[in-house]
Amino acid sequence: MPKTERPGENVETGKPARKRETEDHRPEGLRSRVEGFNDRARKAVADEQLHDSIELFTHKSVAGRNAVLNALPEAPELRERAYRIKQETMANLDRYLEQMADAIEARGGNVFFAGDGEDVVSYIGDLAQRKGAKVITKSKSMATEEIELNRRLEEDYAGLEIVETDLGEWIAQLAGDTPSHIVGPILHMNRRRITEVLSRTAGEGLPPDVEALGSFARRRLREKFLTADIGITGANFGVAETGTVVTVTNEGNARLVTSVPPVHVVVMGIEKLVPRFTDLSVFVRLLARSGTGQKLTVYTNFITGPRAAGELDGAEELHLILMDNGRSKLLGTEFEEALYCIRCGACLNVCPVYRQTGGHAYGSTYSGPIGAVITPLLKGHEEAKDLPHASSLCGACWEACPVGIPLHDLLLKLRNQQVEEGLAGKAQEIAFKGFESTMKRPALYNISSRAGRLAQKPLLRDDSVRPLPGPLSAWTDSRDLPPLAEKPFRELWKEGI
Amino acid sequence: MPGRAEFLQSIRHRTQAGRYKPTNAPDVAWTKKEEPGDDRPIEDPPARFIEELEALGGHGERVESLDEAREYVLELARERKAKLLLRWDVDELDALAVDAPLREAGVEVAVWWDLADFREIAGRADIGLSTAAWAIAETGTLVLEGGSGKGRTVTLLPPTYVAVVPVDRILLTVPEAIEKYAGGEAGVLPANVCFHTGPSRSGDIEMSLFVGMHGPGDVHVVLVG
Amino acid sequence: MRVALFVPCYVDQINPQVGVSVVRVLRRLGVEVIYPEGQTCCGQPAFNSGFFDEARAVGRRFLDVFEGERSDYIVCPSGSCTTMVSHYYPFIFGDLPVERERSEVLAERVREFSDFVVNVMGVKDLGVRREGKAVFHCGCHQRRELGVLEEPRGLLSNVGGLDLLDWENEELCCGFGGTFAVKMPDVSTAMADEKIKALDKSGADTLISGDSSCLMHLEGRLRRTGHNTRVLHLAQVLDAEDGKAG
Repeated sequence: MPKTERPGENVETGKPARKRETEDHRPEGLRSRVEGFNDRARKAVADEQLHDSIELFTHKSVAGRNAVLNALPEAPELRERAYRIKQETMANLDRYLEQMADAIEARGGNVFFAGDGEDVVSYIGDLAQRKGAKVITKSKSMATEEIELNRRLEEDYAGLEIVETDLGEWIAQLAGDTPSHIVGPILHMNRRRITEVLSRTAGEGLPPDVEALGSFARRRLREKFLTADIGITGANFGVAETGTVVTVTNEGNARLVTSVPPVHVVVMGIEKLVPRFTDLSVFVRLLARSGTGQKLTVYTNFITGPRAAGELDGAEELHLILMDNGRSKLLGTEFEEALYCIRCGACLNVCPVYRQTGGHAYGSTYSGPIGAVITPLLKGHEEAKDLPHASSLCGACWEACPVGIPLHDLLLKLRNQQVEEGLAGKAQEIAFKGFESTMKRPALYNISSRAGRLAQKPLLRDDSVRPLPGPLSAWTDSRDLPPLAEKPFRELWKEGI
Repeated sequence: MPGRAEFLQSIRHRTQAGRYKPTNAPDVAWTKKEEPGDDRPIEDPPARFIEELEALGGHGERVESLDEAREYVLELARERKAKLLLRWDVDELDALAVDAPLREAGVEVAVWWDLADFREIAGRADIGLSTAAWAIAETGTLVLEGGSGKGRTVTLLPPTYVAVVPVDRILLTVPEAIEKYAGGEAGVLPANVCFHTGPSRSGDIEMSLFVGMHGPGDVHVVLVG
Repeated sequence: MRVALFVPCYVDQINPQVGVSVVRVLRRLGVEVIYPEGQTCCGQPAFNSGFFDEARAVGRRFLDVFEGERSDYIVCPSGSCTTMVSHYYPFIFGDLPVERERSEVLAERVREFSDFVVNVMGVKDLGVRREGKAVFHCGCHQRRELGVLEEPRGLLSNVGGLDLLDWENEELCCGFGGTFAVKMPDVSTAMADEKIKALDKSGADTLISGDSSCLMHLEGRLRRTGHNTRVLHLAQVLDAEDGKAG
């Protein structure tokens, strides 16, 4: 992969040069860029194999989720409770963070408050150096993806090997790729590609069957699990009352990452907190049922501090990193509900846009409806200008969300925010000012209506608007466009119905 | 890099200064009603536990006595041609008295006590044996507590895992199990509690199921009593 | 029973026949129908693109026009436009107490067409006939914000000679989404193709919906891909006089 150019200072805006962009191993076009969604989406919808993979995954996930939620009569009530608990948590976040920190310290753990990704990288890097660590095993954590932890640690701290242990994440890591779905990270990779990647790692051709590939992965990762100096996990939930960190997996990798190495580091977004241990009864059930269609995942692991006296395994040192990275900006604003997300992935599975494009089209760590909402909120509109528009506002995400976040309304608010900040572009501003003027005055509306009928005459062919270059081409390239009717309804009404 | 006080203060400022207080709660019905769901009441908890576990590919058996439980473990070791079994160091497993018969059958038995290198032995073991603090009927889940003598990796590293659990430890639902630890005092909570539900698995390769990803793929629970 | 007709701007301009059918169906039920001629648009296009100020301006006009006419209900043959008025006017006027109240009061009288026929007039069978094998596409706003899904299906199942079929992915959005259809044309078209695939699989020869915007988008793609599927608005199917012409 070629190194990207380092832009100089922008003399127009006076903004400083962007931070050094180093070797980026992700496939071309994955770095989030303004206006990138359409190009990536175009490629994605043309990819039939990708479409089949997404179809299979989302269809199965939705069916599983529906069945298992139907089996829980109190599911609607749980959803309401989940919303209220998160609302309460955010309204008192400082207090709960402090309570969690105190609880962990009382159990002999360490707490670090990280403002952003840079802070997290330095803390872990320095820790690794102090410990003389060589191998770090990691379980799946979107928060660490968000801050590109692996790449930055390996760049800034020589001699560190970071190994993803979730099968999908490991394969993505080996392929130089990134996850495309919160729950099924490599749903975009087919068996042939996976076999290629694993064979290269194995140094021999592996047969393309799941048994052989899975067994190889188990053997190879087992070596890493057992020799790791540090284990890094995320946290599906953190409990303020007790200082408990909860991880949820089917593979068992998070449990191995936290049981074997002498040091355990947790990177947890501050919004993952819940106030009391008993609140977990709501969230643990919703996460499994909504995310994977299971009543519980195979391993739901509750860690409260480092190992107790008398224990021979489990970490001797626990470091909990509470990360902000833009989350606190949303507190007390109309976007606060975006922080209630428990990262179950259900919104991705039901989103008709995601189902056509897959996750990489979004060009961000977080894809689908939740990605379209939080990427501009955490990173700023400039980084993700088109994401709030990558939605038809159908509301399926809101309907599926186990916490009831009105994602579709948040997307609308983001679009409005763009307009308020002058990011909508002159053409649109003029168009909608014109729209407003026309719609406020029936006389003007009627004039436009008659003008439209005259203007369209040369454009018509066979009762439809001809495909032509220009503003209408976005429609007419792929769809017939009906002409304006000879007489609008209001005229027919005047004539008598 | 903010200090703790600064970090918390900036958050306090935002939550207090924030104008917008969300008041929406979800009000729309969700999930299709036509798809059948299984919300049968649990009439026979041990039977339901076994049913749930087996639906996930695990093996469940109910026996009347510790003698029968011992037989199950011996038979399992024979079938798996195990060379090394690693078990928790707890009274209930001492009472199971399975060490001697196993050794007689040529199976090395290691007990989780004062091990020089737990990685070596847990990594080499063919079978892990433990009890459980609780079991959950609704889901086929074992609730495993960490503590002295109760190695976490005993239940995690060997490819075959068997738990011997008194039948009166069975709880009906997940919320009940969580309540056992929601005492409010962090001191009551063990450093590790794990809800373990069936064989380890992954669906990452084209959604095809691979069993025994990192944890045991061969999971057995013997309910005694 | 006196009803003010709210005709979406694209029905007015592109599919006026839909409005005509609505009038006929309502009159057959004995409803007095008036059409406030000052109406233009509900403002949804501006709203969907984030231009809330412009949407508010158009919304104010809408409130003026429809408050000015005495009517028991305001009926609209579009789930999305009905939702704009009944759900999103209070949303955009949130910080303006006077307008918010006006919109909340008006919202109680605004009803989507099938909702009005079934739940206000209490009629489930209009005694009409139309031959064909049809699938029904429920607009997203109508399904999720208004919760009016069974009403149109019920009405259609009582149409003599009409075989109402199930089709896969029936809850999936058609891909119109207003300006989305031209802002993200590739995805929008792919979403239409997904629905058309399901339509083909069902064997239907007719596509019916309560939202003309969805129909315009789906019909546009159906024609471009060489389909002869009959595309009708719910009101047209229920209009006995239109039935003879169809």
